[in-house]
Amino acid sequence: MTTIEVNGLRKRFGPSVALDGMTFVVQPGRVTGFVGPNGAGKSTTLRMILGLDRPDAGTATIDGRRYADLPCPMRHAGALLDPHALHPARSGRNHLRWLARSQDLPDSRVDEVLNRSGLAAAGRRAAGGYSLGMRQRLGVAAALLGDPPVLLLDEPFNGLDPAGIVWMRDLLRGLAEDGRSVLVSSHLMSELQDMAGHVVVVGHGRVIADAGVNELIGAYSSLEAAYLDLTAGVGGIR
Amino acid sequence: MVPLALALLLIAGGVALGRDAVDPVQLRLLGVRLGQAAVAAAGVQMLAAEYSSGLIRATLLAVPRRLDLLAAKAGLLTAFVAPIAVLGVGVAVLGLTPSGDLVRAAVVSVLHLILIGLFGLGAAAVVRNSAAALGIVLSLLFLMPMLLRMLPDPDWQRILYRTTPATAVQAMTTTVDTAILPLGPWSALGVVAAWAGGALVLGAFLLYRRDA
Repeated sequence: MTTIEVNGLRKRFGPSVALDGMTFVVQPGRVTGFVGPNGAGKSTTLRMILGLDRPDAGTATIDGRRYADLPCPMRHAGALLDPHALHPARSGRNHLRWLARSQDLPDSRVDEVLNRSGLAAAGRRAAGGYSLGMRQRLGVAAALLGDPPVLLLDEPFNGLDPAGIVWMRDLLRGLAEDGRSVLVSSHLMSELQDMAGHVVVVGHGRVIADAGVNELIGAYSSLEAAYLDLTAGVGGIR
Repeated sequence: MVPLALALLLIAGGVALGRDAVDPVQLRLLGVRLGQAAVAAAGVQMLAAEYSSGLIRATLLAVPRRLDLLAAKAGLLTAFVAPIAVLGVGVAVLGLTPSGDLVRAAVVSVLHLILIGLFGLGAAAVVRNSAAALGIVLSLLFLMPMLLRMLPDPDWQRILYRTTPATAVQAMTTTVDTAILPLGPWSALGVVAAWAGGALVLGAFLLYRRDA
């Protein structure tokens, strides 16, 4: 069972404090929602877990190791951060093929994840022509490529059509039921309420609440009510 | 790959210049002066294109060890540029009478082209933008010689001629009246190597330190 451990992350961008001691653990077997106002530090935290941003202090580890120290890292953690991070002239399938090659994975994995993401038909078209929803699906395919025990997704519902939203919800729930650690940042409280077992609420670069969804619903009637109450007065962008 | 095809055409194109000159080796290798711009563009694009498309974030998730990534790109770039430089320079000097000077000029030119590609890659790692990186490299190679000619202070002029790649190709390919040149061919190659190495080391340091 693989956890994500975020311990005392701090980061300044010039004069503004992006992360101010961000600390939480993501447990396997459930979807953990990662919520907070714009600018609260969600994306920066995800980028630090994945080694894209460098913390001023603190650590972020997957299975006790930094992402950059993992051999074939996409087999340990899959990420959907930026759906536009692709070569526009390359087909979706070829995008996945070079990723698979970099992780010592066979091309057969590429077709498996393309099918699972509903891109089997569009896989041979240039990825530059994909809609946002299709790019999200391609990003999910890339995240699933290495069959990783940990998944991190930043706003995965953006740009999906209603059928896509249902698909994403079922997919994430299924991945958690497999025993994976699934961390999902989102602004869609109703989606998370149906899907997440746990939420980490952040503001001003640190954790405000780290609690079970049922617990919060019991105390506040709905996840949205809990969120609004917990983040009241916590403006995101400073 | 378009810049490399262009580089091959430009470098090899020297073969059309004939051999009726005081210094036929230098004449034939004039294409290296043009071709180096295309090689620099190939080096820049190898990394900067990933920043302009956003692909770099996918790349760094697949290969989070950034120094390994830069080393792999440098190796791949060299593997592409080297055969093109050998072929281009080889075609350019076809039919000239073999001599020590000719072989030296050809070998140094090939090595120079490889270094210029790496210089472009290093510059791209430093500024992370195609236009800016190519601007830096091309300014040093093409704008610098013109500016140096206008410099009033002869001491500074001499120092800059000896420490920048401004007249490197001229120094590398001239086989007649070499006494008037500020640098010998191997020293000129050394200067270019220092610039390329410096750009790569600074680029590697910044790539390692900066947020992606």
